[in-house]
Amino acid sequence: MKRQDLRHTTERNVFFWGWVLILPTMVGLIILNIYPMIKTVYQSFCKTGDFGRGNIFIGTANYAKLFSDPEVWQATLNTFKYMVVEVPFSVIIALVLAVLLNRNMVGKSVYRTIFFLPMVAAPAAIAMVWRWLFNSQFGLINNMFHISTHWISDPAIAVYSIAIIGIWSDIGYNMILFLAGLQEVPKEYYEAASIDGTNGFQKFHYITVPMISPTIFFVLVTRIIAAMQVFDLIYMIMDRSNPALSKTQSLVYLFYQYSFVQKDFGYGSTIVVLLLLLIMVITVIQVFAQKKWVHYN
Amino acid sequence: MNRKKVMSLLCVSLLAMTVVFANGTAEKGTTATESKAPEKPLSVMIWDSNQEPGIRKLIDDFTAKTGITAEIQVVNWDNYWTLLSAGAEGGALPDVFWMHSNESQRYMSNNLLLDLTQRIKTSKEVNPDDYPADILGLYTYNGKYYAVPKDIDTIALWYNKKLFDEAGVAYPNADWTWDDLYNAAKKLTKADGSVYGFAKKNTGNQDGWYNLIYDGNGYVISRDKKKSGMDDPKTIEAMGFMGKLINENLMPSPQVMTETGEDVLLGSGKIAMTTQGSWMLAAFRDNEYTLANCDVAPLPKNAKTGRSASIYNGLGWAVSAKTSRPDDAWKLVEYFGSKEAQLKQAQLGITMSAYTGTSDAWKNSVPQFNLQAYLDMQKDMVIRPYSKNTVKWENAINDCMLKAWTKEMTMEEACKEAAKQMNAILAEE
Repeated sequence: MKRQDLRHTTERNVFFWGWVLILPTMVGLIILNIYPMIKTVYQSFCKTGDFGRGNIFIGTANYAKLFSDPEVWQATLNTFKYMVVEVPFSVIIALVLAVLLNRNMVGKSVYRTIFFLPMVAAPAAIAMVWRWLFNSQFGLINNMFHISTHWISDPAIAVYSIAIIGIWSDIGYNMILFLAGLQEVPKEYYEAASIDGTNGFQKFHYITVPMISPTIFFVLVTRIIAAMQVFDLIYMIMDRSNPALSKTQSLVYLFYQYSFVQKDFGYGSTIVVLLLLLIMVITVIQVFAQKKWVHYN
Repeated sequence: MNRKKVMSLLCVSLLAMTVVFANGTAEKGTTATESKAPEKPLSVMIWDSNQEPGIRKLIDDFTAKTGITAEIQVVNWDNYWTLLSAGAEGGALPDVFWMHSNESQRYMSNNLLLDLTQRIKTSKEVNPDDYPADILGLYTYNGKYYAVPKDIDTIALWYNKKLFDEAGVAYPNADWTWDDLYNAAKKLTKADGSVYGFAKKNTGNQDGWYNLIYDGNGYVISRDKKKSGMDDPKTIEAMGFMGKLINENLMPSPQVMTETGEDVLLGSGKIAMTTQGSWMLAAFRDNEYTLANCDVAPLPKNAKTGRSASIYNGLGWAVSAKTSRPDDAWKLVEYFGSKEAQLKQAQLGITMSAYTGTSDAWKNSVPQFNLQAYLDMQKDMVIRPYSKNTVKWENAINDCMLKAWTKEMTMEEACKEAAKQMNAILAEE
C-alpha cells in the first residue's frame, strides 16, 4: 500500500517536473513558431487589408491564383536549381576538406579558422563583397581574367552565380560538423585497414563515409531546408531593374515581394505554404531513404 | 580548486556584478526623471543617408532652442517601408518620420498619422499658403492635414563636360529638344562600348521617362485614379523615344545599369548624360569626379508640344498617431516646416525646400553646378502619379518596361501590357 503510494507520487513528480522543465522551450515554440504558422496558413485563405486589419475570408481563391501563376512556378524552379547546385557542392567540398584537415599537420587550426570565417561574417556584408567581385564593369573577376561576363544579370547564369556565393559561405559550417563526426571514428579501424593493404581512397569510401553517415544525413537535411529558404543573397544582389530577376528569384524572395513590398499578405502566405509543403515532402523522402544508406552503430 | 569550480565561480561573480550595476543605472534613471520632465529623445526615422548630416544639424538647433532632444535613425528606402508598416501593425511607429506620396494614402486612410489640422491652423510658424498646394495635397485626406511639407524635388539633365568636349558636341541648353539629346547621344556613344550617350533604367520613372510622357501630353494615371494612361497613344509615342535609345544601343545594356547605377556610371565617365532628381545633389557634390567634370541643364522639351515638364514630388514630416508625446513631436515637425529651418535646409544643400522663396539659397549652395536648371523646371510641374496602392502598379509597369529594355518586347507592346496590368490593379483599389 505504502509502496504504491510512493510510486504514485514519484510518477506525479516526474510528470510535473518534466513539464516544468520543458515549459520555457514550449512557450517559446508556441509563441514564436506554432502560433505564427497557424496564423500564416489561415491568412493564405484571406484577402488581407492594410496593416493587417480587415482581413476578408476568400476561401481557396489565393490557391487558384497560385496554381495558374507562372511566376510562382518559375520561382519554384529557380529555388530547385539553387538547391541542386548549392547543397551537393557545399557538402562534398566540406567533407573533403574535413578529411584533409583531420590529420596532424602544420597550421591545422589556421586552415580550419580560415574556412570557418565566412560563417562569422554577416550575410549582407558577404553579398555586398560578392556583388562587387561579380560586377561586370569594375569587378575583380572580370578584370582579372579580361572577360565581360554578366555574372549576376545574365538570366542564364545568375542563379548559379548566387549558388557559388552560397557554397562559399556554407563550406566552413558543414566542415566543422564533419570534423566533429570524424573525431568519433575509432583509429583502430584505419589501422586494421592499413594492415589489410587499403589505400587512402578505399579507407575514405569503406570506413569514413559509412562511419559518419549520420552526420552526412544531418547536414544534408538541414542544408536542403536552408537552401530551399534562400533569400538574403538574392535580396542583396537583385533588384527590379535586373533582367535576370525572374529567372533567379526564389520562393521566399517572391513571398517577401508580395507580403512586405506590395503588402499583399494573403498571397504571400499562400506562397510560403507551398514552400512549407515542398520542404515537408523532400524531408519525408529523405527520412525514408536514409534507411538505405545511413549506419547507426 | 579545479578548473570547473573556477569557471562557475567566475560566472556567479559576473552575474552578481550585472545585478549590482543594473541596480545602479536604474537608480540613476529614476533620479534623472524626477528632476527633468522629458526623458527619452524623440525618435526620428528617415531613409536618405545623404541628408542625414544636414538633418542632424537642424535637430541640434532645435534642441538648443527647446531643450527637446531627438535621435535619427536612417533605414534605406526598401527596408524603410517594411519597417514602418511592421511598426504600424505592432503599434510601435517612430515619433516623427518622412512620408512619401507612394504610401501616404494608405497611412492616412488607416489613421496611423496624427491629425495636424488644428495645430497647423493655430501655428505661427507653419502656414499652408507658404508651400506648393500640390505637395500639401499629397498629405491631405478628407480635408485634414497629416504632414508638414519638407521639400520639393524636380528633375534635370546631368552631363559630363569632358566627354562632350572630347566628342566636340555643344553642351545641353534650355532650348534643347529630345531630338537634340538623341543626336548628341549618337555622337557621344563610342563603338567599343566604353562610353554611352545616355543612361536610364527601366525603374527610373520619376527621374526619367515619366517626364517624357508628360512632355508629349500623355499621362500615367487618370485624374480620378481609375484608369491607366500607359496605353494612351500620346504616351506610347513619347515612350517611343526611349525605345529608340534602347534599340540603337545609345544606352548601356540593362545588365550594366542594374549592376552599376546611373550616378556611378556618370561619376566614372562611362556615360555622357542622365536625368537625375534634385535630391541627388549631395551625392554629386561629394564625388570629386562629378564636381570637377559634370554640370546640369534643364530637361529637353518635346519638339511638337514645346513642353518641358518635370515630375515633382515632396516629402512630408509626419507624426505617429500613437506617439506618447504628441506636443513635443509637433514642435519638432513645426520647426522643420518653419521658414528658418527650411531656409537652412536649402543653404546646407540638403535638398530644395518646400517653403516658397527659399530656393535661391539652395541654388547657391554649390556654385560649381548650374542649379538654376532645377529651379527652371518648376515652370511646368506635374505631381508624381499616385493612388492608394501606388507601389503595386508601379512595380507592374516597371516589370513590363524591363521587357522593352531587354528588347523582349517592343515599347508599344510593353506599354499596352503595362496598362492592362495596371488597370486590373486599379480595379481592386
